[in-house]
Amino acid sequence: MSKCDQFRELIEAYALGALDAGERAAFEAHLANGCQDCAKAVEEARWVVSQLGYLAPDTQPSELLKGRLMQTVRNEARGVQRFQKPSGDIPFWMWAGVAALLVLTVYSAWDVRRLQKQIQTINERAAAEFRQREQLQLELAVAKRAAHILTDSNSKKFVMWPHDTQMPKLEAMWHPELGICVMGQKVPMPSTNRTLQLWLIPKAPGSKPMPSLTFWPDAEGKLVLMVENPPEVIADTKALAITEEPAGGSAQPTSAPMWVGGVS
Amino acid sequence: MFLAVLTPKESGEVSRDAMLVHQLLQRDVDAFEQLYDRHSRIVYALVLRIVQQASTAEEVVQDVFLQLWRNAGQYDVRRGPFAPWLMALARNRALDHLRLKSERQRRREDQSEELPPIISVPRFEQALDEKRRAEQVRALIGSLNPQQKRAIELAYFEGLSHSEIAAALKEPLGTVKSWIRNGLLRLKEGLQAAT
Repeated sequence: MSKCDQFRELIEAYALGALDAGERAAFEAHLANGCQDCAKAVEEARWVVSQLGYLAPDTQPSELLKGRLMQTVRNEARGVQRFQKPSGDIPFWMWAGVAALLVLTVYSAWDVRRLQKQIQTINERAAAEFRQREQLQLELAVAKRAAHILTDSNSKKFVMWPHDTQMPKLEAMWHPELGICVMGQKVPMPSTNRTLQLWLIPKAPGSKPMPSLTFWPDAEGKLVLMVENPPEVIADTKALAITEEPAGGSAQPTSAPMWVGGVS
Repeated sequence: MFLAVLTPKESGEVSRDAMLVHQLLQRDVDAFEQLYDRHSRIVYALVLRIVQQASTAEEVVQDVFLQLWRNAGQYDVRRGPFAPWLMALARNRALDHLRLKSERQRRREDQSEELPPIISVPRFEQALDEKRRAEQVRALIGSLNPQQKRAIELAYFEGLSHSEIAAALKEPLGTVKSWIRNGLLRLKEGLQAAT
């Protein structure tokens, strides 16, 4: 009796599922070794076993079962997801939650935009105040420098006389290190697109006037002009002059001096 | 020779089932309904015989047919004719249901098969209507001695092993093994002789 013949006795019981664990494992190992005859015999024995189903007493399922099955199958064929309820069955509290979330989202967006505008306004105000502070600091520095020039004993004071006797005279102070300060009251505003310009007239014969700052009096005619770094030293300067020039100033005077003051 | 196997195309009924299963792959509801009408009676009878409760049997049958609908591709015509495959699937599901409630479950889990294995149709097999096939099978099994018939039924409908059947019938293990093997061989020969 060959080994295969020995296992052939197990074929029907194996197909029936009646082998105990040990025999089943041994037989499956035999099949796994590639016994084609036994494998084919098992396939046929399974068919014989399947025929035992006809021993069951004849009966039929209820129509309700078919109805349920066909309903499920039709729904799935239409693409309706299993166990998924239609959207209309979403409970009210869920809609309320969605609505609340929507309102909160809109409010948050509006609030963020409002805060952004506030921050922008505050930033602009801070920048303006910063610029104003810088301007005040600058003016303060100029005023301090002017005050120093006006009070320092090293400063040389002189008068700049107007060419037109109807105009006010100006006072000038020149400190060798701090610069020149020119002051006056009721100084007329230059014409449109014109500016006042300060000139330093050198002592050297044939020398041309040295251009300095352009400036305007304030709305009340008050003039305080500070020249921190004059283009010429006081000892080499014969006089200061002020002319009216095109806006932006000129390299050389284009009009007669309106004020002239001898320095030395 | 008995070992020779027919292809499903050699039977009109088999090819009809194969065609309907193929249509299931295209989500053909009518094909599903035809398959249900053709096989639900024997499937339900088999499952009810195993689980012994109508409502449970309908649950199992519903699961079997929904599995067929949702996974029609699991049936491979090359693995054998459709009806025995479906009956094997239904038997496995029904026995699984029994095992869920049984102490035997843990011991037999590895015997449970989600899909039935290959089933080959012997050359003598011809398409018979269910009623005629049932008469043949009942006559052949009915001709066995009552204990032999009972041993086969315990194995098939209750999923008992040789040892469990021997214990249930209070018969020697070797006797039970012989009863079952000889009974199935006699069924095979009887079905062959009837064609």
